[in-house]
Amino acid sequence: MTTVTPEPTDQPIPTQVLDGAVEAYPRDRLYVMTAVFLAVVTVVEIATYVWPDLPVWSWGGDTNAGIITVLLLLMAVKFFTVAYIFMHLRFDKPLLSRVFYMGLVLAVGVYLMVLFAFRLFWEGGHESGPQGVPFPSAGPQGPPAG
Amino acid sequence: MAEAIAHHRELMAERDAHAEHAHIEHDTNTGISNTKLAMWLFLGSECLLFGGLITTYLLYKNPLEGPTPEEIFDIPFTSTSSFVLLMSSLTMVLAVSAIERGDHHRLRVWLTATALLGGTFIAGQVYEFTVFYNEGLGFTTSRFSSAFYTLTGFHGVHVTVGIIMLVSLILLSLRGHLPEHRSETVEIVGLYWHFVDVVWILIFAVVYLIP
Repeated sequence: MTTVTPEPTDQPIPTQVLDGAVEAYPRDRLYVMTAVFLAVVTVVEIATYVWPDLPVWSWGGDTNAGIITVLLLLMAVKFFTVAYIFMHLRFDKPLLSRVFYMGLVLAVGVYLMVLFAFRLFWEGGHESGPQGVPFPSAGPQGPPAG
Repeated sequence: MAEAIAHHRELMAERDAHAEHAHIEHDTNTGISNTKLAMWLFLGSECLLFGGLITTYLLYKNPLEGPTPEEIFDIPFTSTSSFVLLMSSLTMVLAVSAIERGDHHRLRVWLTATALLGGTFIAGQVYEFTVFYNEGLGFTTSRFSSAFYTLTGFHGVHVTVGIIMLVSLILLSLRGHLPEHRSETVEIVGLYWHFVDVVWILIFAVVYLIP
Protein backbone atom coordinates (compact mmCIF):
# COMPACT_ATOMS: atom_id res chain seq x y z
CA MET A 1 0.00 0.00 0.00
CA THR A 2 1.42 3.33 -1.03
CA THR A 3 0.27 6.42 0.79
CA VAL A 4 0.34 9.15 -1.79
CA THR A 5 -0.84 12.14 0.21
CA PRO A 6 0.85 13.82 3.14
CA GLU A 7 0.63 11.82 6.35
CA PRO A 8 -2.01 13.32 8.65
CA THR A 9 -0.41 14.98 11.63
CA ASP A 10 -1.71 17.06 14.46
CA GLN A 11 0.56 19.87 13.35
CA PRO A 12 0.11 20.38 9.61
CA ILE A 13 2.27 22.63 7.51
CA PRO A 14 1.21 26.22 8.33
CA THR A 15 -1.19 27.64 5.81
CA GLN A 16 0.73 30.85 5.23
CA VAL A 17 3.82 28.86 4.27
CA LEU A 18 2.10 26.57 1.79
CA ASP A 19 -0.23 29.17 0.26
CA GLY A 20 0.68 29.31 -3.40
CA ALA A 21 3.78 27.18 -2.85
CA VAL A 22 2.81 24.80 -5.62
CA GLU A 23 1.80 26.98 -8.53
CA ALA A 24 0.91 24.39 -11.13
CA TYR A 25 -1.07 21.22 -10.65
CA PRO A 26 -1.25 18.94 -13.71
CA ARG A 27 -4.74 17.69 -13.03
CA ASP A 28 -6.16 21.26 -13.12
CA ARG A 29 -5.56 21.33 -16.84
CA LEU A 30 -7.62 18.17 -17.24
CA TYR A 31 -10.45 19.77 -15.25
CA VAL A 32 -10.45 22.92 -17.37
CA MET A 33 -10.41 20.91 -20.61
CA THR A 34 -13.28 18.78 -19.28
CA ALA A 35 -15.30 21.92 -18.50
CA VAL A 36 -14.68 23.24 -22.02
CA PHE A 37 -15.83 19.90 -23.44
CA LEU A 38 -18.99 20.00 -21.29
CA ALA A 39 -19.71 23.57 -22.41
CA VAL A 40 -19.40 22.53 -26.07
CA VAL A 41 -21.77 19.59 -25.54
CA THR A 42 -24.26 21.95 -23.84
CA VAL A 43 -24.08 24.30 -26.83
CA VAL A 44 -24.91 21.37 -29.13
CA GLU A 45 -27.86 20.48 -26.88
CA ILE A 46 -29.19 24.02 -27.09
CA ALA A 47 -28.66 23.95 -30.87
CA THR A 48 -31.29 21.17 -31.09
CA TYR A 49 -33.78 23.72 -29.74
CA VAL A 50 -32.59 26.69 -31.82
CA TRP A 51 -32.21 24.80 -35.11
CA PRO A 52 -34.52 21.76 -34.88
CA ASP A 53 -34.48 21.30 -38.68
CA LEU A 54 -30.77 20.52 -39.01
CA PRO A 55 -30.38 17.21 -40.90
CA VAL A 56 -28.21 15.81 -38.09
CA TRP A 57 -31.23 15.37 -35.79
CA SER A 58 -34.31 16.11 -37.88
CA TRP A 59 -34.58 12.55 -39.25
CA GLY A 60 -37.35 11.57 -36.84
CA GLY A 61 -39.93 13.80 -38.50
CA ASP A 62 -42.95 14.62 -36.36
CA THR A 63 -41.99 12.03 -33.74
CA ASN A 64 -38.81 14.01 -32.96
CA ALA A 65 -36.99 10.68 -32.67
CA GLY A 66 -33.77 12.22 -33.98
CA ILE A 67 -33.73 15.11 -31.51
CA ILE A 68 -34.68 12.85 -28.60
CA THR A 69 -31.95 10.33 -29.47
CA VAL A 70 -29.28 13.03 -29.83
CA LEU A 71 -30.32 14.73 -26.58
CA LEU A 72 -30.32 11.46 -24.63
CA LEU A 73 -26.87 10.60 -25.98
CA LEU A 74 -25.45 14.04 -25.15
CA MET A 75 -27.05 13.90 -21.71
CA ALA A 76 -25.40 10.54 -21.03
CA VAL A 77 -22.02 11.86 -22.25
CA LYS A 78 -22.24 14.86 -19.89
CA PHE A 79 -23.45 12.72 -16.99
CA PHE A 80 -20.62 10.21 -17.20
CA THR A 81 -17.98 12.86 -17.93
CA VAL A 82 -18.84 14.71 -14.71
CA ALA A 83 -18.99 11.45 -12.71
CA TYR A 84 -15.77 10.10 -14.21
CA ILE A 85 -13.58 13.22 -14.05
CA PHE A 86 -15.06 15.77 -11.64
CA MET A 87 -16.35 13.19 -9.14
CA HIS A 88 -13.02 11.37 -9.36
CA LEU A 89 -14.45 7.95 -10.22
CA ARG A 90 -11.57 7.65 -12.66
CA PHE A 91 -9.04 8.11 -9.86
CA ASP A 92 -10.82 6.40 -6.96
CA LYS A 93 -11.32 2.78 -5.97
CA PRO A 94 -13.68 0.75 -8.17
CA LEU A 95 -15.92 0.04 -5.18
CA LEU A 96 -17.18 3.64 -5.24
CA SER A 97 -18.10 3.32 -8.92
CA ARG A 98 -19.99 0.12 -8.15
CA VAL A 99 -21.91 1.75 -5.29
CA PHE A 100 -22.93 4.71 -7.42
CA TYR A 101 -23.78 2.76 -10.57
CA MET A 102 -25.72 0.23 -8.50
CA GLY A 103 -28.07 3.02 -7.42
CA LEU A 104 -28.18 4.42 -10.94
CA VAL A 105 -28.92 1.08 -12.65
CA LEU A 106 -31.54 0.26 -10.02
CA ALA A 107 -33.22 3.64 -10.52
CA VAL A 108 -33.16 3.46 -14.33
CA GLY A 109 -34.45 -0.16 -14.30
CA VAL A 110 -37.24 0.44 -11.80
CA TYR A 111 -38.47 3.64 -13.39
CA LEU A 112 -38.27 2.33 -16.96
CA MET A 113 -40.57 -0.47 -15.82
CA VAL A 114 -42.89 2.12 -14.29
CA LEU A 115 -42.94 4.07 -17.55
CA PHE A 116 -43.66 0.89 -19.51
CA ALA A 117 -46.38 -0.08 -17.03
CA PHE A 118 -48.02 3.31 -17.54
CA ARG A 119 -47.63 2.90 -21.34
CA LEU A 120 -45.69 6.14 -21.72
CA PHE A 121 -44.07 4.89 -24.92
CA TRP A 122 -47.38 4.01 -26.58
CA GLU A 123 -49.08 6.52 -28.83
CA GLY A 124 -51.34 8.75 -26.75
CA GLY A 125 -49.95 7.35 -23.53
CA HIS A 126 -49.74 10.81 -22.01
CA GLU A 127 -53.35 11.70 -22.64
CA SER A 128 -55.24 8.56 -21.75
CA GLY A 129 -53.14 6.93 -19.06
CA PRO A 130 -52.90 3.17 -18.60
CA GLN A 131 -55.88 1.03 -19.46
CA GLY A 132 -58.18 0.81 -16.48
CA VAL A 133 -55.88 2.88 -14.27
CA PRO A 134 -56.98 6.50 -14.25
CA PHE A 135 -54.56 9.33 -13.73
CA PRO A 136 -55.40 11.25 -10.55
CA SER A 137 -56.40 14.32 -12.54
CA ALA A 138 -58.67 12.35 -14.88
CA GLY A 139 -61.55 12.46 -12.39
CA PRO A 140 -63.05 9.80 -10.15
CA GLN A 141 -64.21 7.59 -13.04
CA GLY A 142 -61.03 7.90 -15.13
CA PRO A 143 -60.88 7.98 -18.92
CA PRO A 144 -63.09 5.61 -20.92
CA ALA A 145 -61.48 2.20 -21.45
CA GLY A 146 -59.99 1.58 -24.88
CA MET B 1 9.87 24.20 6.35
CA ALA B 2 11.41 24.19 2.88
CA GLU B 3 11.89 20.44 3.29
CA ALA B 4 8.21 20.04 4.13
CA ILE B 5 7.19 21.91 0.99
CA ALA B 6 9.59 19.87 -1.12
CA HIS B 7 8.19 16.69 0.42
CA HIS B 8 4.67 17.86 -0.34
CA ARG B 9 5.61 18.54 -3.97
CA GLU B 10 7.14 15.09 -4.29
CA LEU B 11 3.98 13.49 -2.97
CA MET B 12 1.81 15.42 -5.41
CA ALA B 13 4.09 14.52 -8.30
CA GLU B 14 4.03 10.87 -7.27
CA ARG B 15 0.25 10.87 -7.08
CA ASP B 16 -0.10 12.38 -10.52
CA ALA B 17 2.36 9.84 -11.88
CA HIS B 18 -0.03 7.14 -10.63
CA ALA B 19 -3.20 9.08 -11.29
CA GLU B 20 -5.11 6.07 -12.61
CA HIS B 21 -4.84 4.35 -9.24
CA ALA B 22 -4.40 7.33 -6.95
CA HIS B 23 -6.46 7.30 -3.80
CA ILE B 24 -5.98 7.82 -0.11
CA GLU B 25 -5.65 4.58 1.84
CA HIS B 26 -7.66 4.43 5.04
CA ASP B 27 -7.55 1.98 7.89
CA THR B 28 -10.87 0.38 7.01
CA ASN B 29 -11.88 -2.93 5.45
CA THR B 30 -12.43 -1.25 2.10
CA GLY B 31 -9.45 1.12 2.26
CA ILE B 32 -11.93 3.95 1.73
CA SER B 33 -12.91 6.35 4.48
CA ASN B 34 -16.32 5.59 5.96
CA THR B 35 -17.45 9.18 5.38
CA LYS B 36 -16.67 9.05 1.68
CA LEU B 37 -18.29 5.64 1.26
CA ALA B 38 -21.37 6.92 3.10
CA MET B 39 -21.58 9.92 0.77
CA TRP B 40 -21.43 7.68 -2.30
CA LEU B 41 -24.13 5.41 -0.84
CA PHE B 42 -26.21 8.51 -0.17
CA LEU B 43 -25.73 9.69 -3.75
CA GLY B 44 -26.72 6.22 -5.01
CA SER B 45 -29.95 6.52 -3.02
CA GLU B 46 -30.48 10.04 -4.35
CA CYS B 47 -30.52 8.54 -7.85
CA LEU B 48 -33.68 6.71 -6.79
CA LEU B 49 -35.24 9.89 -5.36
CA PHE B 50 -34.66 11.98 -8.46
CA GLY B 51 -35.45 9.01 -10.71
CA GLY B 52 -38.91 8.89 -9.10
CA LEU B 53 -39.44 12.62 -9.52
CA ILE B 54 -38.30 12.62 -13.17
CA THR B 55 -40.51 9.60 -13.92
CA THR B 56 -43.50 11.33 -12.34
CA TYR B 57 -42.81 14.40 -14.45
CA LEU B 58 -42.62 12.32 -17.63
CA LEU B 59 -45.98 10.71 -16.82
CA TYR B 60 -47.67 14.04 -16.12
CA LYS B 61 -45.88 16.39 -18.53
CA ASN B 62 -48.93 16.86 -20.76
CA PRO B 63 -51.25 19.09 -18.73
CA LEU B 64 -55.00 18.56 -18.96
CA GLU B 65 -55.51 22.23 -18.14
CA GLY B 66 -53.42 25.41 -17.74
CA PRO B 67 -50.29 26.46 -19.67
CA THR B 68 -48.25 23.82 -21.50
CA PRO B 69 -44.45 23.46 -21.15
CA GLU B 70 -43.95 24.78 -24.71
CA GLU B 71 -45.93 27.92 -23.90
CA ILE B 72 -44.18 28.74 -20.67
CA PHE B 73 -40.53 27.60 -20.79
CA ASP B 74 -37.86 30.22 -21.55
CA ILE B 75 -35.14 27.98 -22.99
CA PRO B 76 -32.46 30.70 -23.51
CA PHE B 77 -32.79 31.78 -19.88
CA THR B 78 -32.69 28.20 -18.54
CA SER B 79 -29.72 27.43 -20.81
CA THR B 80 -27.80 30.27 -19.20
CA SER B 81 -28.67 28.97 -15.73
CA SER B 82 -27.55 25.48 -16.76
CA PHE B 83 -24.25 26.86 -18.02
CA VAL B 84 -23.72 28.70 -14.72
CA LEU B 85 -24.29 25.49 -12.72
CA LEU B 86 -22.02 23.53 -15.07
CA MET B 87 -19.19 26.00 -14.54
CA SER B 88 -19.69 25.82 -10.78
CA SER B 89 -18.61 22.18 -11.03
CA LEU B 90 -15.32 23.35 -12.50
CA THR B 91 -14.72 25.86 -9.70
CA MET B 92 -15.62 23.17 -7.15
CA VAL B 93 -13.14 20.66 -8.51
CA LEU B 94 -10.48 23.40 -8.62
CA ALA B 95 -11.20 24.06 -4.93
CA VAL B 96 -10.59 20.38 -4.14
CA SER B 97 -7.40 20.53 -6.19
CA ALA B 98 -6.27 23.67 -4.33
CA ILE B 99 -6.61 22.19 -0.86
CA GLU B 100 -4.90 18.97 -1.95
CA ARG B 101 -1.80 20.99 -2.74
CA GLY B 102 -2.18 23.15 0.39
CA ASP B 103 -3.12 26.35 -1.42
CA HIS B 104 -5.64 27.74 1.05
CA HIS B 105 -5.98 31.12 -0.59
CA ARG B 106 -7.13 29.57 -3.87
CA LEU B 107 -9.29 27.11 -1.98
CA ARG B 108 -11.29 30.01 -0.57
CA VAL B 109 -11.39 31.81 -3.93
CA TRP B 110 -12.78 28.74 -5.72
CA LEU B 111 -15.22 27.86 -2.92
CA THR B 112 -16.53 31.43 -2.97
CA ALA B 113 -16.86 31.33 -6.76
CA THR B 114 -18.76 28.03 -6.52
CA ALA B 115 -21.14 29.42 -3.87
CA LEU B 116 -21.74 32.57 -5.95
CA LEU B 117 -22.44 30.56 -9.10
CA GLY B 118 -24.81 28.34 -7.10
CA GLY B 119 -26.50 31.44 -5.71
CA THR B 120 -26.89 32.81 -9.24
CA PHE B 121 -28.53 29.56 -10.31
CA ILE B 122 -30.97 29.69 -7.36
CA ALA B 123 -31.75 33.36 -8.07
CA GLY B 124 -32.53 32.36 -11.66
CA GLN B 125 -34.81 29.59 -10.47
CA VAL B 126 -36.69 31.93 -8.12
CA TYR B 127 -37.10 34.39 -11.00
CA GLU B 128 -38.31 31.60 -13.31
CA PHE B 129 -40.84 30.35 -10.74
CA THR B 130 -42.12 33.91 -10.21
CA VAL B 131 -42.60 34.46 -13.94
CA PHE B 132 -44.38 31.10 -14.30
CA TYR B 133 -46.67 31.88 -11.37
CA ASN B 134 -47.55 35.30 -12.82
CA GLU B 135 -48.38 33.60 -16.11
CA GLY B 136 -50.89 31.37 -14.37
CA LEU B 137 -48.86 28.27 -13.53
CA GLY B 138 -49.41 27.65 -9.82
CA PHE B 139 -48.40 24.51 -7.96
CA THR B 140 -51.93 23.04 -8.19
CA THR B 141 -52.84 24.41 -11.63
CA SER B 142 -52.32 21.08 -13.38
CA ARG B 143 -50.63 17.73 -12.99
CA PHE B 144 -47.78 19.11 -15.10
CA SER B 145 -47.26 22.12 -12.81
CA SER B 146 -47.27 19.96 -9.66
CA ALA B 147 -44.74 17.52 -11.13
CA PHE B 148 -42.58 20.34 -12.53
CA TYR B 149 -42.42 22.42 -9.35
CA THR B 150 -41.81 19.33 -7.21
CA LEU B 151 -38.93 18.12 -9.37
CA THR B 152 -37.17 21.45 -9.92
CA GLY B 153 -38.00 22.60 -6.38
CA PHE B 154 -36.37 19.52 -4.86
CA HIS B 155 -33.31 20.19 -6.98
CA GLY B 156 -33.27 23.83 -5.88
CA VAL B 157 -33.36 22.75 -2.23
CA HIS B 158 -30.39 20.46 -2.89
CA VAL B 159 -28.45 23.35 -4.45
CA THR B 160 -29.31 25.57 -1.47
CA VAL B 161 -28.06 22.91 0.98
CA GLY B 162 -24.88 22.70 -1.12
CA ILE B 163 -24.37 26.48 -0.87
CA ILE B 164 -24.75 26.28 2.93
CA MET B 165 -22.08 23.55 3.01
CA LEU B 166 -19.77 25.66 0.80
CA VAL B 167 -20.15 28.72 3.03
CA SER B 168 -19.42 26.52 6.07
CA LEU B 169 -16.22 25.33 4.39
CA ILE B 170 -15.15 28.91 3.65
CA LEU B 171 -15.72 29.88 7.30
CA LEU B 172 -13.82 26.80 8.51
CA SER B 173 -10.94 27.67 6.20
CA LEU B 174 -10.86 31.30 7.34
CA ARG B 175 -10.63 30.16 10.96
CA GLY B 176 -7.82 27.75 10.10
CA HIS B 177 -9.84 24.61 10.82
CA LEU B 178 -9.42 23.16 7.34
CA PRO B 179 -5.79 22.04 6.93
CA GLU B 180 -4.82 20.13 3.80
CA HIS B 181 -4.84 16.75 5.55
CA ARG B 182 -8.57 17.27 5.87
CA SER B 183 -8.96 17.79 2.14
CA GLU B 184 -11.40 14.90 2.07
CA THR B 185 -13.99 17.13 3.75
CA VAL B 186 -13.86 19.46 0.75
CA GLU B 187 -13.87 16.47 -1.62
CA ILE B 188 -17.03 15.06 -0.01
CA VAL B 189 -18.86 18.39 -0.28
CA GLY B 190 -17.59 18.47 -3.87
CA LEU B 191 -19.13 15.05 -4.55
CA TYR B 192 -22.49 16.35 -3.36
CA TRP B 193 -22.13 19.48 -5.49
CA HIS B 194 -21.21 17.54 -8.63
CA PHE B 195 -24.15 15.23 -8.07
CA VAL B 196 -26.46 18.24 -7.93
CA ASP B 197 -24.94 19.33 -11.25
CA VAL B 198 -25.37 15.86 -12.73
CA VAL B 199 -29.04 15.82 -11.74
CA TRP B 200 -29.54 19.19 -13.44
CA ILE B 201 -27.93 17.79 -16.60
CA LEU B 202 -30.73 15.20 -16.63
CA ILE B 203 -33.47 17.71 -15.75
CA PHE B 204 -32.32 20.23 -18.35
CA ALA B 205 -32.43 17.65 -21.14
CA VAL B 206 -35.53 15.71 -20.09
CA VAL B 207 -37.72 18.55 -18.83
CA TYR B 208 -36.67 21.54 -20.92
CA LEU B 209 -35.14 20.36 -24.18
CA ILE B 210 -36.77 17.06 -25.20
CA PRO B 211 -39.88 17.98 -27.21
